[in-house]
Amino acid sequence: MQFFIFLIVSIILVVASILVIVQRNPVVSALFLIAALCAQAILYLLLNATFLAVIQIIVYAGAIMVLFLFVIMLLNLRKDEFGFEKRKAQRFFGILFAILLLVELGVVIKIGLSKIPSTEFSLDPDFGGVQSIGKALFTDYLLPFELTSVLLLVAMVGAIVLAKKKL
Amino acid sequence: MSWLTPDINFKIISPELIILIVALLVLILEPLLKGRSKNILPHISWIGVALALVSVITLWNREELGFNQMFILDNFSCFFKIIFLSGTLLVILSSISYLKEEKIFHGEYFSLILFATFGMMLMASSLNLIVIFLGLEIMSLCLYILAGFRRYDLKSNESSMKYFLIGAFASGFLLYGIAMLYGATNSTNLKEILIFTQGFENPLFLFIGLGLILVGLGFKIASFPFHMWVPDVYEGAPTPITAFISSGPKAAGFSALLRILLFAFGSLHIDWSFVLWILAVLTMSFGNVIALSQTNIKRLLAYSSIAHAGYVLVALVAGGDSGISSAMFYLLAYTFMNIGAFIIIIFLGEKKVNLDDYSGLVTKYPILGITLALFMFSLAGFPPTSGFMAKFYVFSSAIKSGYTGLAIIGVLNSFVSVYYYLRVVVIMFMRAPVDEVQKVPIPFFLGLALLFSVWGTLHLGILPQSFLTLAQNSIFSPF
Amino acid sequence: MNIPILSYMVFSPILGMILVMLLKKEQVQGIRWVSAIFSFIPLILSFFLLANYDPSTSKMQFVEFHKWIPSLGANYHLGADGLSVPMLFLTALLSFVSIIGSFNINFRVKEYFAFFLLLETGMLGVFCALDFFLFYIFWEIMLVPMYFLIGIWGGPRKEYAAIKFFLYTLFGSVFMLVGILALYFTVEPHTLNMMELIRRAPELSRGFQLIVYVAFYLAFAIKVPIFPFHTWLPDAHVEAPTAVSVVLAGILLKMGLYGLLRVSYPMFPKAALYFALPLALLAVINIIYGALVCMAQKDLKKLVAYSSVSHMGFCVLGIAAITVTGISGCVFQMVSHGLITGALFLLVGVLYDRAHTRDIDAFGGLWVKLPVYSGIMTLFCLGSLGLPGLSGFVSEFMVFIGAFPVFKVIVAIAVLGVVLTAGYFLRMIQRIFLGEFNPKWEGLPEISGREIFTVTPLAILMIFIGVYPMPLANMIRATMENIVRLVGG
Repeated sequence: MQFFIFLIVSIILVVASILVIVQRNPVVSALFLIAALCAQAILYLLLNATFLAVIQIIVYAGAIMVLFLFVIMLLNLRKDEFGFEKRKAQRFFGILFAILLLVELGVVIKIGLSKIPSTEFSLDPDFGGVQSIGKALFTDYLLPFELTSVLLLVAMVGAIVLAKKKL
Repeated sequence: MSWLTPDINFKIISPELIILIVALLVLILEPLLKGRSKNILPHISWIGVALALVSVITLWNREELGFNQMFILDNFSCFFKIIFLSGTLLVILSSISYLKEEKIFHGEYFSLILFATFGMMLMASSLNLIVIFLGLEIMSLCLYILAGFRRYDLKSNESSMKYFLIGAFASGFLLYGIAMLYGATNSTNLKEILIFTQGFENPLFLFIGLGLILVGLGFKIASFPFHMWVPDVYEGAPTPITAFISSGPKAAGFSALLRILLFAFGSLHIDWSFVLWILAVLTMSFGNVIALSQTNIKRLLAYSSIAHAGYVLVALVAGGDSGISSAMFYLLAYTFMNIGAFIIIIFLGEKKVNLDDYSGLVTKYPILGITLALFMFSLAGFPPTSGFMAKFYVFSSAIKSGYTGLAIIGVLNSFVSVYYYLRVVVIMFMRAPVDEVQKVPIPFFLGLALLFSVWGTLHLGILPQSFLTLAQNSIFSPF
Repeated sequence: MNIPILSYMVFSPILGMILVMLLKKEQVQGIRWVSAIFSFIPLILSFFLLANYDPSTSKMQFVEFHKWIPSLGANYHLGADGLSVPMLFLTALLSFVSIIGSFNINFRVKEYFAFFLLLETGMLGVFCALDFFLFYIFWEIMLVPMYFLIGIWGGPRKEYAAIKFFLYTLFGSVFMLVGILALYFTVEPHTLNMMELIRRAPELSRGFQLIVYVAFYLAFAIKVPIFPFHTWLPDAHVEAPTAVSVVLAGILLKMGLYGLLRVSYPMFPKAALYFALPLALLAVINIIYGALVCMAQKDLKKLVAYSSVSHMGFCVLGIAAITVTGISGCVFQMVSHGLITGALFLLVGVLYDRAHTRDIDAFGGLWVKLPVYSGIMTLFCLGSLGLPGLSGFVSEFMVFIGAFPVFKVIVAIAVLGVVLTAGYFLRMIQRIFLGEFNPKWEGLPEISGREIFTVTPLAILMIFIGVYPMPLANMIRATMENIVRLVGG
């Protein structure tokens, strides 16, 4: 069972990743990137890394990708680079799926998180959880963790240096 | 709940911390200072580098692990840090006048150089692949930005973009390789990988992982066939950054490669040395042959830097004590002579990069002409300069390990390289000057950097014993 | 006696170079005299060497030894024996003479003399280095100033000639480097000490000797030059300024021969025996080919250059014979060729400076107008073609005597070379100095005092060796016997 899920998710991941590169339309490619990131999150789940999976969706598929999309919108791309043909049906399905999503969310909350089936592996119950990751990050992997912050700082400085109109 | 104390050891990481603090200081001061007072930033930076250099020297001859075996302080890392810091020092000193000339005098420039140095230092003294990767990323990210620092110049933009795309691609390979190794050995710690590889059976994906790491680092050291970014990036980047890229990051890449290949995979020397043998030959030959036809001095030195990577690979193939120490000595010598040559190009400015612009340089600037000739002869491997000693040491270690064929190919390559290095000298010394533009005095700090590189080139060439001893004392015990 | 006399000799020109660099560009006279003085010091010291040399032994004398780079096994090790001392003397003499002869250089004077002095250091160093590392360094250092001297102050095709010279020589020396390294790692314990390596030579296997011999041979043969590596020589000689041609012909060519005698023979005796016959064949090709090309030359300087190719053939023939007389003849020829060809180049330069042409056919009957110059020139030409009583005769005679018992047919052919030599030199004398006076040269001034001063010592020595060769023969005998004994031929 697990293997089949893995296989399907992997195929989705690979195909979506390829589509990210191949698509001419930046918005579409960003959407495929979201698909790829979500598939990755499922892979994390399969590995029992629940915390990472959630973070992956919230941070990457959520925050970062929204930022990406905003930037693309703000870029003022020409029509041929950004050609969407708006259709009536699109709007209809859009609204329909939004309502479905809302209903689903309500159902999930009602059922509660308690009924999520546990896995058959006998792992440390905390494996992949917040606590164990936090412990690892602040003890054994303290150095890489701190280095990542330097990396992010450098990336920020770099983005400003390259993009700001007047330094 | 029990409190866990992380394994923090500030003492062994002090040179890195100094560089990091200075980088942040420069970054903070940049918006606070206005107008002429910004001139202080480069001086803060180079003083910081000098302090870090001092702290590296005080840490000499200790061997300590820290941060859960991720960080190692040993003479090997100290030696490489000396290389990086000297290179950074020279680049900062020679950048000051250049940046003003090009009207890009911003504090971020120095800050990014320091961050890059920080990344390199981590690469040299890391025992963990994750930290190596992070160090490499910090270094590369800074370099991508620095390569595009002349933002108004299209070539600089191209350089930055190309470097970024290919660099990111290379990082992907490296990361994939690390993942493979982790999958094979269940660790990213080089010591544990070493213990694993000494076992009887090595799974196939251990080698795949190693191959991917080779590809990833191959991009950074610019070895064939991962060199195609080099000429364009070198040409477009601001000249001090070209000097920087060609010395520090290359040495950093080699430091990681040395640790991985000769330490963690030392017992599999037979398996990988064959691949490296081919890479070394191709890298040397390709760099030298293409360099023959270059007319832009930055591109010429770009191809020459590819060739020099090939010579260092020869030392890696040779392996053993003398292989490691000769590679280290070579990189030290290369830093001085290469940055030295670039300092003169920096002085002459971005507009004078064609070889024809160097006609009669020696009559106009006798000192610059003679020193550039010295560096060219050193790069070509002529006694009594550091380039000769370094090559001699590398080839002798190759012959010692029984790779006589490789040494002969290397020697023939250095023979070919003489032709294009000499062409620069011919143009400087034997052609009439092209224009009669006003002579500009040599800026003080640039002159200082030049003096420092000349000293390094001659000292390592005539009285190399002290540095040879240093290099020989700073090898990690290979397998 | 603990004065490091060889070090003084080798490094005094470097000191001169530094002084010259410190002088202002405009102080032309000062630069000239400083260079002259600092090239005169080695000459004085070389007299001291000659006086104190003990000819009864083949051991190294005036030895200096200091540790230098222990991790690479390199030491600062100088010494001189019967082979080195004459060469050191010749080098010091010709350098001094050439520097005096370069006083008429007016273009970038400072650089010229700086390079010249550096060149002298390199040359002196090669002849007394006893450590391979040091030997190689001097060998390479010499190339750089030579390259500049040809490339900046040379004739119309100077850049081409300079690069060609440089690349040819370097090509040889990189193989020498590999050879040195191979030798270093083969001998246990590793050493770069040439004397030690000579002692250990019997330990080397025959196959190894053959390979390394070839590596070294490439370096030396290109320098000599031995056919077919001679093509750089005419270009370099013709394009080089006069004084540089003197040094090039007088000293640099001898380094190849010196290398063969110092390195190849004692260290690879088995290979030396194996390659003796091919070497003799190449030598005779050198002799005949060089002489034939000379016959066809119209350019005076080119003629002298190709005569060097021919004369070097005699040296190589002497070496190939591996007899005491033959090798002694070679050393004699080295010295004598240095003196004679050096002087010939100087004299060609004298004529060229005045007439701005070297075309043999453009002159005629100069004897009428320039009796002194013509007399001196003729004297040296006669020396070069081997007139008895002059040094050329002695050396060629010794080579033939030494080589005849070994290679009868080859020597018989080589003797033809002497006839050809006489042919082209006499033809040259006839075209330039005799016959009808070309009125175009009416205003040609006679050779100046300074120029006479430069060739006088060379003439005196040439006649001295020709008449009384014993002092030189005595000086080198022990060393030559030792070389032959080591090769065991």
